[in-house]
Amino acid sequence: MMKILQRSGLAAMLILLGTMTALAEPQSYSLKVDGLACPFCAFGIEKQLSKIDGVGDLKTDVKAGVVRLTMKDGSLLDKAEAKQAVDRAGFTLRGIEKVRNAPQQAGESQ
Amino acid sequence: MCKYFINRGISGLLFLLWAFPAWAHDPVFSPGPHVLFKDGIEIHVGATRDKRDNATDDEQTLTVKYGLSGDWVIGAEIPYQRVKDDFATQKGVGDMTLSTKYRFWRNDSLGIQETAAVLLKVKLNSSTAQVSTDTTDFLIGLTYGYESLKWYRWASVRYRFNQNQGALSRGNRLFIDAALGYRPEVHDYRAPDTVWLLELNGEFRDRNALSGISINSSGGSRLFVSPGIQWTGRNFSVKAGVQIPLWSNLDAFQPRPDYRASLELEWHL
Repeated sequence: MMKILQRSGLAAMLILLGTMTALAEPQSYSLKVDGLACPFCAFGIEKQLSKIDGVGDLKTDVKAGVVRLTMKDGSLLDKAEAKQAVDRAGFTLRGIEKVRNAPQQAGESQ
Repeated sequence: MCKYFINRGISGLLFLLWAFPAWAHDPVFSPGPHVLFKDGIEIHVGATRDKRDNATDDEQTLTVKYGLSGDWVIGAEIPYQRVKDDFATQKGVGDMTLSTKYRFWRNDSLGIQETAAVLLKVKLNSSTAQVSTDTTDFLIGLTYGYESLKWYRWASVRYRFNQNQGALSRGNRLFIDAALGYRPEVHDYRAPDTVWLLELNGEFRDRNALSGISINSSGGSRLFVSPGIQWTGRNFSVKAGVQIPLWSNLDAFQPRPDYRASLELEWHL
């Protein structure tokens, strides 16, 4: 009985630890943006998105019409703020997707 | 003395800015609907030469623009001008121009942006140099642009209302332009980007009149074909082009255009 309790406690701690680690990981997002067609476009949109609190790394793939964004310190992206930033850059936000394996995705070359 | 130093200072500044590379996002000789992002700043340095028979007009300009929103930009431009003909050379800081452009329509899709904008320019009577026209002139325009990863196309129409200069009634001008752009290769946006341009520029001038009497040697129409190139590196652009006369129908004895050349540098901050 004692062993069962010890194993259950250990399993619960591992699950909790795993969850905390996942929460502490940088959160990454893929923003699908319509209207991107040139280097100036990418510069403007990165400039606007970088003003959002907690935004860390930004990478724009003009061909795919995607901005990949990684947050700092596990903070989350406010979708309304992201939409406003894209609008202020002069483009249209088509959608936002949360990306798994944040550090690897953010490090992908464009 | 003060004017001397101001002129020297601005020309020196223009020379220094000229030494750096720069660029732009609309055609070379005509406007497009491109605006800035909100709170964005654009610094634009340009040099143009207009050669007609023995007359040569050179102008260097410094323009600063500010993005009020993602669709609305305002700007101020100050030129340094040098006008030379058979008899004399006049030079100095010319009249300041204030401008605004509002993008009233936008259709975005993947890798494509199709837009239209209205623009307004006011050339102030701000200069005391001889190159000034001593008038306040207005220009209104409408411009359309289609930008994609591979192809660009633009069209614009502008009308310039010229204020009278004493007894001299200066004819108004109409400009109609069409342009194409082609990007041979699409790179990562941090890599240098090249777009080739080809424009058709039409100019239609009303005749001037003195005390109500039309001046024969003024007014007429001109059409130019204008190849150009635009090179962009992230937030910096260099644009260059030459206007070659294709056809002209000028009244009486007026110098026929030989060519016009333009080089522009642009930074987005």
